[in-house]
Amino acid sequence: MNRILFFLTTVCFTVMSCTKEKTDYEAEIGAVVTEHEEFKEAVSIQHDGYDIRVEVLNGTFYKGYNEIRLKITNSQTTEQADVSAVTFLPIRTDTDGSTGSCPHQYDLGDRSNGDYFSGYSVFTSESNGDESWELYIGFTIGGQTHTVKQHIAVQEQPNKNLNMTAFTGKDDKQYVIALISPQKPKVGENDLVAGIYRFNKPLNPSSGSFPDPSQFLYEEVRGYTLQLDPRMPEPSMGNHSSPNNKDLTQQGDGLYHGLVNYTMTGNWTLNLIMLNQDGRILKGTEVPTDFTPGVEGAKSELYIDILF
Amino acid sequence: MKKLSITFFVLFLGMNAKAQTEPAQSDSTKVLEEVEVTAIAKRKIETELKMSVSVDEFLASSDNISFIKRGAYAWEPLLNNMSTERSTVTIDGMHIFGACTDKMDPVTSYVESNNLSTIDITSGQEGSLHGATVAGSIDLKRKSTPFGLARKWSGAYQTGFEFNNKQFFNLGNLSYSSDKFVADGSIAFRKAGNYYDGNNDEVLHSQYNKFNSSLGLAYKTSSLSSVRVDAIFDMAKDVGFPALPMDLWLSRAIITSAAYKKLFEEGLVRAWDTKLYFNAIEHYMDDTKRPENLVHMDMPGWSTTYGLVSRANLKRGEYSGDIQLNVYENLSIAEMTMYPQDRSNRTMFAYSWPWVTTRFAGLSMNNSWDISEASRLNLGGSLGWNYNRSKYVEFNWIFHPGTPQEKNRILPGLHASYQLNIKQFDFSVGAGYGHRAPSVSEGYGYYIYNSFDRYDYIGNPDLKNEISYEANASAGFRNERMGIEATANYFHIQHYIVGRILSLGSPMNYQSVDVKGYTSLNYATLFNMALNANYDILPHLHWKGTLRYARATDDKGGNLPFIRPLSYQTSLHFMHREFGVQTSLNGDFAHDDYSPEYGEDLTPAYSIWNISADYTISFKNFKTVLQVGAENLFNKYYSTYADWGNIPRMGRNIFTSMKFSF
Repeated sequence: MNRILFFLTTVCFTVMSCTKEKTDYEAEIGAVVTEHEEFKEAVSIQHDGYDIRVEVLNGTFYKGYNEIRLKITNSQTTEQADVSAVTFLPIRTDTDGSTGSCPHQYDLGDRSNGDYFSGYSVFTSESNGDESWELYIGFTIGGQTHTVKQHIAVQEQPNKNLNMTAFTGKDDKQYVIALISPQKPKVGENDLVAGIYRFNKPLNPSSGSFPDPSQFLYEEVRGYTLQLDPRMPEPSMGNHSSPNNKDLTQQGDGLYHGLVNYTMTGNWTLNLIMLNQDGRILKGTEVPTDFTPGVEGAKSELYIDILF
Repeated sequence: MKKLSITFFVLFLGMNAKAQTEPAQSDSTKVLEEVEVTAIAKRKIETELKMSVSVDEFLASSDNISFIKRGAYAWEPLLNNMSTERSTVTIDGMHIFGACTDKMDPVTSYVESNNLSTIDITSGQEGSLHGATVAGSIDLKRKSTPFGLARKWSGAYQTGFEFNNKQFFNLGNLSYSSDKFVADGSIAFRKAGNYYDGNNDEVLHSQYNKFNSSLGLAYKTSSLSSVRVDAIFDMAKDVGFPALPMDLWLSRAIITSAAYKKLFEEGLVRAWDTKLYFNAIEHYMDDTKRPENLVHMDMPGWSTTYGLVSRANLKRGEYSGDIQLNVYENLSIAEMTMYPQDRSNRTMFAYSWPWVTTRFAGLSMNNSWDISEASRLNLGGSLGWNYNRSKYVEFNWIFHPGTPQEKNRILPGLHASYQLNIKQFDFSVGAGYGHRAPSVSEGYGYYIYNSFDRYDYIGNPDLKNEISYEANASAGFRNERMGIEATANYFHIQHYIVGRILSLGSPMNYQSVDVKGYTSLNYATLFNMALNANYDILPHLHWKGTLRYARATDDKGGNLPFIRPLSYQTSLHFMHREFGVQTSLNGDFAHDDYSPEYGEDLTPAYSIWNISADYTISFKNFKTVLQVGAENLFNKYYSTYADWGNIPRMGRNIFTSMKFSF
């Protein structure tokens, strides 16, 4: 009997110790994507007796969309300063000295959400030898306006789900489309959120004092549509796509919301067609819908790659 | 998983400990009663032609079974020309579900002929005793030696070699029977290479290796009660599936149960048998031996089932019946990971079965009354509750947005039949009604590639129950020298589940052409009939013949797939003293009613001729049978209507075997 029991135990354990472990689904989804939820201080400036702190997710400015939280406190009392208005202007300087900006919120929102002024900045390039970024922050206390300038480092966005693209539309205007959400997609249906920004060329020459915000005007476009066709471009996936996706349209928050279904993890391309409020195509082409195994999927002339 | 195995092991210990402490009395007259209670027409696991057969070959010799074949191993049994989702396949009433999304592991592939005593095949709703069904039930009965046999030890050893695919097998089983303790054990090895078709071409990837062992221990706890524990361990390795784009690297199954049985000398309840069971299957596919594959994929699958089956046999006067409670929970998981050509890129992951739980609880009943000497009325029914839950329901939401994560279904069933026996004539008529729930793949499958019609299949959690209305009839005549019997059944199945092109999404598997979703037809109808005859030409020369026909159409009159065309089998059996010769001819007519919509094409008619001879040597209690024979004697090149991807069947196969028993 003992031998039989021993045999059974052995059989039980050899069989139960599965040859291949089941995939840990949560870990698999997060394998190449790190989700940042915590706002951390990215820069801190002392100016005229005030502490100005800029907080972003993970404490790092990344290329693409960054939500900005700006805190201003009295250096001595460490209490919130009585600020009536805050302006925010990111400026890019090239090696030849030419300057530009990127989509941003110039007048930051009030402190209704907490102890910070909120805004965003969509950095269109990383800091490197050729390009550097500076923040010009202005704040008004008791009718007096203070301005500070701070050099910052913009890093490459490792999470491709927060990718962006910059292009010129058929209306000869410069546009930026930046992905905002989801940071960490899942297999299945995802709410897709993007911002569409247009650079408005200055109508008047610069006033002389640098920086002149009227020279760096970006605007969230109104009433556009982003037609969406998500596909897996790798040859092995043969231009695979997913059903039940929804084009992105503008919602109350000014951002563009739609639905994207990812049928599996991996590399996906969001093929886009951008239409203006009159339904005119400003950028983007239809992509073939055929299933073509072994052939890399063609991309729209307007697309953003993601990976999860 | 570890925790489960420990629980299970403790259960084992408990049963055995109990077995050892309780006193027992021997009572040999009860042995007979027990046999009588469980006796159903039993057939030995061997065919007319061949004595050492695989489970598949044995099933193939049954009237209402046909097979989808994807290679030389693990054939998928079709009952009444309906696929395995529509029938319940059980081992001693225990539910087991394969772990492969491509049906490479039907339940029948996890047993071996030397641990089975017989296979009960019940057509239609009469098979609802083991749970909700449409087509019927296939119950694989394990060997279970009675207590207190005159010969304490018995056993058999079979070995043989089949020349076509160089199959070498060794099967052994041993039983011990005393007044209060019984043990059954078996072990089996089979190893086969690639087979050759009728043109003498090698069919690549058709090899297999199988190991199977089983152990059953029973202890008589009192003169009328006993406990029994059983375990089967099965492992198949390096199994080729020539019709599929991938092979099997490894599949393993552990199938265990602990049962308590009690007999009653008086009263309505004559026997009560309760069994707790657990089985776990793991199945790993392998496409690395197919260089033509563009994409390398890992496709592991797991299926774990716990259950309880409790059955009471009733008898009083002219009445006899069975009541059975079936309860089980199954968890089916299947993953796919695709590797891009550039292996530095990210692998792509999805679930083809997103952790689908199935729970079932049902009560079934079969009753029969002997109305008179010549007639009998059978009435039965079942009522079941079926519950499904998909853990990662987001996979199902892609095609069915917002579908509930959980689904409850009520599955009723009813059947009645009347049998009449007038002199040498037998007649029966019957009718049935029953529901079945969609299978895991039909409900929750996700991009399951079907290499037959080359579509990716998507399950639909909101499918309606399939509802079957069934009628059957038979008529027969029998005398000392001959017998003839005709049987027929007709199914009208509402909400018949099939795959339909979705025009939504795009394929994921690179061989695939498009996506099909499981949907319900308004209805489909199936008609099966069989004509059997036998005649004793001489005292030692027997003839047998079978003719089978089936026809099935959907609601628009189109053909359903995998319906067997008109087929026949005829055999002669000569036996004299220790010598026997058998020969048989079987074949199908052309498959004219094929279904192009489901990827079928016209399969031409074929017929093959088989022959075998055996010689028996008896010495005291020892018996040795030697057999030599040939299947497909004329080396005909053919494939059948249900050969996946029209792969050719085996050409001439000379087989030899030796069986030694005591």
